[in-house]
Amino acid sequence: MSVTVELTYDMSKVLGTETFEVEGVATVEDIIRRTREQFGAKGEEFEKLTRVTAIAVNGVLVNYRRGLKTAVSDGDTVGFVKASAGG
Amino acid sequence: MIKGYAGRVLEVDLATQTYEFKPLDESIARQYIGGKGYGTRLLYDTTPAGIDPLGPDNPLIFATGPLNGSVAPQSNRFAVVCKSPLTGGIGNAACGGAFAYGMKRAGIDILVVKHQSERPVRLDIDGDKSEVKFLDASDLWGKGTYETQEILGKRKYNAVIGPAGENKVLYAGIVSNERIAARTGVGAVMGSKRLKAVSATGSRKLEMDDEEAFKKYTAFIRDHFRDHPMLGDRLKRCGTAGIVSTTNARNILPTHNFKYGKFKDAMKISGDWMEDHELVGVKSSCMHCPVTTCGRDVNVEGVGRVKGPEYETVSLMGSNLDIGNLKNVSEWNYLADDMGMDTISLGAVLGFAMELQERGMFNAGLTFGDPTGVSEMIKDIAHRRGVGNELAQGTKRMSEKFGGIEFAPHVKGLELSAYDPRGSYAQGVEYATTNRGGCHVQGASMYLESVGPLTINPQSLKLKAEIPVIQQNLACAINSMVLCIFTTYGIIPKAIHEMSPNSWKYKLMATAFENSGPLMRWAMSIKGKPMLWFEKWLTYVTGTTFSSGHLQEIGARIFNLERMYNLREGISPAQDTLPDRILYEPTFKGMTSGHPLDKLLPKYYKIRGWDSNGIPKKSTLEKLQVAI
Repeated sequence: MSVTVELTYDMSKVLGTETFEVEGVATVEDIIRRTREQFGAKGEEFEKLTRVTAIAVNGVLVNYRRGLKTAVSDGDTVGFVKASAGG
Repeated sequence: MIKGYAGRVLEVDLATQTYEFKPLDESIARQYIGGKGYGTRLLYDTTPAGIDPLGPDNPLIFATGPLNGSVAPQSNRFAVVCKSPLTGGIGNAACGGAFAYGMKRAGIDILVVKHQSERPVRLDIDGDKSEVKFLDASDLWGKGTYETQEILGKRKYNAVIGPAGENKVLYAGIVSNERIAARTGVGAVMGSKRLKAVSATGSRKLEMDDEEAFKKYTAFIRDHFRDHPMLGDRLKRCGTAGIVSTTNARNILPTHNFKYGKFKDAMKISGDWMEDHELVGVKSSCMHCPVTTCGRDVNVEGVGRVKGPEYETVSLMGSNLDIGNLKNVSEWNYLADDMGMDTISLGAVLGFAMELQERGMFNAGLTFGDPTGVSEMIKDIAHRRGVGNELAQGTKRMSEKFGGIEFAPHVKGLELSAYDPRGSYAQGVEYATTNRGGCHVQGASMYLESVGPLTINPQSLKLKAEIPVIQQNLACAINSMVLCIFTTYGIIPKAIHEMSPNSWKYKLMATAFENSGPLMRWAMSIKGKPMLWFEKWLTYVTGTTFSSGHLQEIGARIFNLERMYNLREGISPAQDTLPDRILYEPTFKGMTSGHPLDKLLPKYYKIRGWDSNGIPKKSTLEKLQVAI
């Protein structure tokens, strides 16, 4: 399975990429763990940022589903979301 | 006279070149505050039904509120009210430029410009002398707003139009400094009067009922704003374009003429990207708002340092056109400001034209993802040249002429702003019902369901009829004080911003919020003591108590008056709808349709006290004291 992960700008500066693919994951929690493992020290900094960031699967916050246990499938996009205000 | 008001309405007749200072109507001020509330009341009472918006009988009303001219953050704005040439209904817009300050210093609460001049003219108002000069503006006619303001000078406070207003582009705006009263074509009305500019000066000081309390409290609130994660940090650092990454991740960033909610190059047009790659020098802000400083300056090749694009512009002239280059968007933003045009409508019109081109329905010479020809088209629109003349009419008229009604992104003729309601159901209800059309700042429901720090499920039906009513009422009151809508972003406290969105506490709060419909409506209706800063400011300045309940009532009064105006002008409830694309084309995986407006509108009407056809009931109008 391949899931696309889209990062916030702050995260992208930490990991050096705006987006990447992850395979062999079943939940959002798996993605965070796999990313932390893959990027070493940067991965730890990334994980800290996930604690203050909402997470969406295909645009829908995981809060409205099963939180970090929300399942992901092939072709899904997992996006990290910061609160903002516009005009 | 109530404190906070100068007590004067200035009426100017451009046809006879005469003017008259009249007393402010205190009873209207008490019921409608000022700004668009007072302006709408005047428009309703002094014009018959069916006037031509670009004809001599449509008054152009500049309106301030009792806080304008104070040093309260976000308070330096003016409103413009008229019949909209774009929608045929109520037209209004607000602007953060310094003209509001000029009006109050001149001792003018409301300026009513009537009829039309035979030749280009500008007004020079000296409030101390109570004098108005009608000056020949033929030397300014044809000039952009930047050059016009440069010539008029900084010693006066000015409101000007550019070529778009002069040529009555239906979404032309009125510019003051680097801000614009953009929406509904108020600039076209000014242009129809051949009025190029209005300048105001004076030395009057705002009188307050309790100035000491006001100053002490304002100092406290400035610290609160500075310390606030949204007002003092996020908006300050990344500006409004900082929301691009949020809307993109939530699948509500308008892309390819609102066909999609996600854009592959979103990051490259975000406020974060702008901060690191494009920003130059000090970030700008409206007068007396040093805390938020949401504006930012960029470099435009061939021009130099100018005000950069806001979120609406980077979206509607970026992702909506499949353009992922901030340099392009910045240049087009500058052009639009200089020509004096609403970038929301402009971006939506360009996107619509590109789709018509793509489908072979109209040859605009523009292609999604290709910046070629866009700069020239913006100028052609402003001057109504060639194909630009068609685009100057807006998406509604274009779709009626060339087809594409089902994907023309407007409501009641006003182009949608940059939050796709398929991922923000309350915002969709708000778009469909807001009196001036497809607008987001006359409610901003999306903040509570799609982008803010504490959001409910945007695709659940819960609260999606209640939230727009509460938000629209509050926004009406805020817009009648003529405060910046950003003032409401400070309501959600710091502690919630700092809560982990994935924590059980957050989920508990969101669930409680989602199920709080009746409680929320009751709580907002309480007429008690002022709690929030804008309630306190208004109370300290005027000496009259304002609380949440008072503002909800005043807001509802204004909203219903606007509704009655629209009905009088033939804007029927059938126009409380969304484009077919939004209603029927899904953008979320697993969904089979778009926005469920049909499930929410009946409840919205009921909460509003309207009948099932969307007509305000007599009992509702009586209860709100809306005299018709």
